[in-house]
Amino acid sequence: MTNGPLIVQSDKSLLLEVDHEQAAECRRAIAPFAELERSPEHIHTYRLTPLGLWNARAAGHDAEQVVDTLLTYSRYAVPHSLLVDVAETMARYGRLRLEKHPVHGLVLSSTDRPVLEEVLRAKKIAGMLGNRLDDDTVAVHPSERGNLKQALLKIGWPAEDFAGYVDGEAHPIALTPDGWELRTYQEEAAESFWHGGSGVVVLPCGAGKTIVGAAAMAQAQATTLILVTNTVSARQWKDELVRRTSLTADEIGEYSGAVKEIRPVTIATYQVMTTRRKGVYPHLELFDARDWGLIVYDEVHLLPAPIFRMTADLQARRRIGLTATLVREDGREGDVFSLIGPKRYDAPWKDIEAQGWIAPADCVEVRVTLPDAVRLAYATAEPEERYRLASCTREKITVTQELVTRHRGQPTLVIGQYLEQLEELSTALDAPVITGATTVKERQRLYDAFRHGEIDLLVVSKVANFSIDLPSAEVAIQVSGSFGSRQEEAQRLGRLLRPGEPGPDGERKVARFYTLVSRDTVDAEFAQNRQRFLAEQGYAYRIIDAEDVGA
Amino acid sequence: MSRLLTLRPDLTTPPPHDFSQLASRAAVRSSLGRALDSLTRGELSVLDALVVASQTSDAELATMVNAEERYVTEAVAHLRGLALAWDSPEGLRALSGVADSLVGGTGAGVSGLRPRSSDAPPPEVVTERLGQVSEEARAMLDHVLANGGEATAGAARRTVRPEDAAGPVEELLARALLVPGRDDLLVVPGEVGLALRGGRTTLEPVDVPPGLATAERPARLTESAAAGAALELCRRTELLLEWWSTRPAAALRTGGLGVRELKATAAHLQLSELDTALVVETAHAAHLVATRADADGNPVWVPTDAFDAWLATDVAERWVTLARAWLASPRMPSLVGGRGADDKPWNALTPELASVLMPETRAMTLAALAEVPPGHSLAAGTGLPSLVTLLAWRRSRRPRSRADQVAWTVAEAAVIGVTGLDTLSSYGRALVAGEDPTPLLAALLPEPVDHVLIQADLTAVAPGPLETGIARSLQLVADVESRGAATVYRFSAGSLRRALDAGWTAAEVHAFLASVSRTPVPQPLTYLVDDAVRTFGQLRVGYAEAFVRSDDEAALAALAHHPKAASLGLRLIASTVMVSTTPVDLLLTRLRELGVAPVVEGPDGTVRVGRVDEVRARTPKARGSGQQEARHAAQVAAAVRALRAADAAARVRPAAAVSPAGALSALRDAIERRASVVIAFTDNQGVVGERVVEPFAVEGGQLTAHDRTADDVRTFAVHRISRVTPVPEGP
Repeated sequence: MTNGPLIVQSDKSLLLEVDHEQAAECRRAIAPFAELERSPEHIHTYRLTPLGLWNARAAGHDAEQVVDTLLTYSRYAVPHSLLVDVAETMARYGRLRLEKHPVHGLVLSSTDRPVLEEVLRAKKIAGMLGNRLDDDTVAVHPSERGNLKQALLKIGWPAEDFAGYVDGEAHPIALTPDGWELRTYQEEAAESFWHGGSGVVVLPCGAGKTIVGAAAMAQAQATTLILVTNTVSARQWKDELVRRTSLTADEIGEYSGAVKEIRPVTIATYQVMTTRRKGVYPHLELFDARDWGLIVYDEVHLLPAPIFRMTADLQARRRIGLTATLVREDGREGDVFSLIGPKRYDAPWKDIEAQGWIAPADCVEVRVTLPDAVRLAYATAEPEERYRLASCTREKITVTQELVTRHRGQPTLVIGQYLEQLEELSTALDAPVITGATTVKERQRLYDAFRHGEIDLLVVSKVANFSIDLPSAEVAIQVSGSFGSRQEEAQRLGRLLRPGEPGPDGERKVARFYTLVSRDTVDAEFAQNRQRFLAEQGYAYRIIDAEDVGA
Repeated sequence: MSRLLTLRPDLTTPPPHDFSQLASRAAVRSSLGRALDSLTRGELSVLDALVVASQTSDAELATMVNAEERYVTEAVAHLRGLALAWDSPEGLRALSGVADSLVGGTGAGVSGLRPRSSDAPPPEVVTERLGQVSEEARAMLDHVLANGGEATAGAARRTVRPEDAAGPVEELLARALLVPGRDDLLVVPGEVGLALRGGRTTLEPVDVPPGLATAERPARLTESAAAGAALELCRRTELLLEWWSTRPAAALRTGGLGVRELKATAAHLQLSELDTALVVETAHAAHLVATRADADGNPVWVPTDAFDAWLATDVAERWVTLARAWLASPRMPSLVGGRGADDKPWNALTPELASVLMPETRAMTLAALAEVPPGHSLAAGTGLPSLVTLLAWRRSRRPRSRADQVAWTVAEAAVIGVTGLDTLSSYGRALVAGEDPTPLLAALLPEPVDHVLIQADLTAVAPGPLETGIARSLQLVADVESRGAATVYRFSAGSLRRALDAGWTAAEVHAFLASVSRTPVPQPLTYLVDDAVRTFGQLRVGYAEAFVRSDDEAALAALAHHPKAASLGLRLIASTVMVSTTPVDLLLTRLRELGVAPVVEGPDGTVRVGRVDEVRARTPKARGSGQQEARHAAQVAAAVRALRAADAAARVRPAAAVSPAGALSALRDAIERRASVVIAFTDNQGVVGERVVEPFAVEGGQLTAHDRTADDVRTFAVHRISRVTPVPEGP
């Protein structure tokens, strides 16, 4: 029995004691193959999943290394069955290989004939394969490369893709580090992506994912298609690229509802790509418009299904996915793995915070008591109405007013889900409101004014959830959200995490995140689910009663 | 003598009367077989040589066996102890019957040589004769010897002189190198076989047991793997039985555990079905589970009360209980999931899933493993086959499924935690040796921890096995999320409510958390506890038969305190509402007696008033007169018939009674005459009655007759008829 920092549970979870002297060393050792599931203050939980183990295989680790790591750091005996399982799972990856064949183009080959036979007999897969070339090889139509990988993952025999990438149309891109430089983790992220070929980089909000994208583009030196969530975010990407790289504004095109430019670097929104007319997606052709050398997927956790479908056909191009939270509420993490690529880089939020790249945050849940009349209305309401009723209580407006007064002078965002509520708040607080109905021009004007400190209070709807860069924001008050979405909560907190300049007293800002919750209602239940991701990332919520806000 | 009875315990049951009985019993084939089964291949070879020698001295025997002399001496001593070999006046002999029981080929130490002929020539002569025969004859002899030592004679003459011999067979016969046996067979006599094998019964040495293939492996690793498995076994057994105590597993009609139940259990324990079967079987062998009838009377598997006693002990002691039970158990859980000879799947806990040889195989396998020096373990690929070979040498004669049984034992021992990485652990060694392994195991097990780490995401992690008391309390206030060496608990409103239901107070919960947490209790958890307490008991449910309400609070209060209302069970639950334990109708009357004027309130809140219902009964239905008459007529007819019959019986009673012996003839007579007779018949209740019958037939001990009393054809058992009296032709 050693005195290691790791406890290996038989349900394949790994408990890492953070305060142990070997903790940092152990974390580095297990990070390649174990998924960080929870990282609260004392004990972090990792989990061994097939995806994680295959990720490790893709990154060049073998089962022996994994087993050895577990045995080295484990405090107690490691369950034997778990070790066997690890070895078996990892052995499944790479039995099948997608390769380039000089004559037949793309082929699926195997060193293990029974596996190939099993796969050939699988109903879902047979249709994607061409002629049997010899005992160990079968032809694959290049257009099925993505679908095949997806299907193979589903039946538990993930294929290793050795078929390589097309270089795409060359285009010179270089980073211009004047007055800033690539942070260590950003460089590591871009490096590990490039070596892996394709994949996903997970970094906290505010940790500079755009720059990782730019660094990847500088590595690729090719025409690039960037897919982002909305127009405002597209503009931000453009500004950031002009600032950080040798690209000029003329070289960057925007492809959105309003403008449709195709340039060597084109930034398109998910919305326009998935616009459907007469049953077809007219804009998906953009993928073929140029010989792209790199495709960047911003906020990959939001990637809509049609893009997945299109991505399946783009397997010959390098793909990088950027996200802060690789949790998909629809559980399609497997599709991200097979179509975009394995996770290439991951950094816990708290680590980045410790390095000072993102601001520390103070999360507070304020419990609001509903007045008796509303409680009665709530109790008798239809189930589908209940959440709205609980979320939009007038009490929250009062509390918001109190909070805003308390943080007067600090740039504050009030974020909500329901438009009427936002309108009400806007009136009560006498602050401008941004919703989906606000024009892009108006939005940008307001964001700019907020950034420059002309206004210090904004009421925003979920349009501001993602990719909106508001570095000056210090306080966010969340009055309602879309049910129990974990990633929305994380993204909203992310709005606050850009580290501001240290104040005159040398103190860095501390972000304050308030979430208002109605006591004893579904609102509270959803809030608990929403907070799980952040709690697991080590953000501790304090809970206070609305009456104590003033204190 | 006592040594013999210890070595061959079957001789003592039942205790023999005298020595002659004991002797004959010792020579019985089945008893011999048992004694032989316990011999190693080397000892069997010695015995075989003794049979070949027929009768010899210790010294000569030692030269006949291809082994060290000392080994042979020891073996012979053992055989004497077993009464398989004995000293006749003429010399050492094998017990008669041993020769017939020695079967099984070289694997069972049988050399395949025949006993020496009684007039065997000295070895030199045999050797000389062997030199005389032709090449073909020699080849034939070798062939016959290699193939069982028997051959058919063909047309060869049995008695020929060497000079006249034609063909190899006759050549051999003439020199007594082949001798005639029973059934026209020719056999190679023992002395010839011996000569062919250089004077010994076997070509290979018989006293060298095969070695085990081992590889070096640090003891630290194997010990910790074994202790880990032992801990897992205890944990899983506890989990299994706690699960079954709240959700008993249905037992099959045959007494086993169904495939589906096993699957569900395996899923719950997060084990493979095979390992689950082992855990279940081991718990059963340790008497921790048994069947009982559930509420519907179906048999279910539930923990026994021994489980509670087991839970009260330390982990090491728990394991020792389980491991001892496993070691002695005849069960074969490794068969579960497979199919038997009749293609029926083997279910766990089925009574048939046992073999008497299993404990012996287990003990021997582990004993063999115990011989592996510390720091070494069975080699990865070759270890198991070499173990099987060694056991085959030690117990050559049986069982046929030994290879399987050994493999099962090795696999099961790893799960039980007796071995780690195929090496017997230190405490496993003690267990096999019959010593107390508890302190050795306890030293290897992780120290129980007395604290948990509570975190802001409402989980608590116990970084090791928790002390029992703390574990129990924690399980009450939080749900277990992950088990293993450590345990992860999650607090939720539901789990806290469970603790409150069990009678904990908020202060107790707070105090408990503060005492077990090594770190400060996070604020969200404190808040959650208070929140759970706040909502706990907000609604109260009670029992009442009726309520009384009134807007006049004073009147209600007066009523509640009215001395005569004490028996009504009235209780004021609000200033305007009282409940009562008296049913509404009674309460109404009593309240009226007390001088108040209550009205009844309906379920919808409306007041119900009205006059008292007037009571009416249903008009009885009159039956039709015709029906009555018919019934009456039938009753009369029956009465008359009975009277007549009684009359007939009475009339003949004084007349001469026929003796029981003559009853049959009297009946036959009556059948011939078609006359009525009175019979005295003892019915099922043992009552003797008289009946007037007209017999039709007497067959197979049965009398078939028309019973006048019943007006029906009846059968009577003849042996129950005690008397037959003819009825005189009536008037």
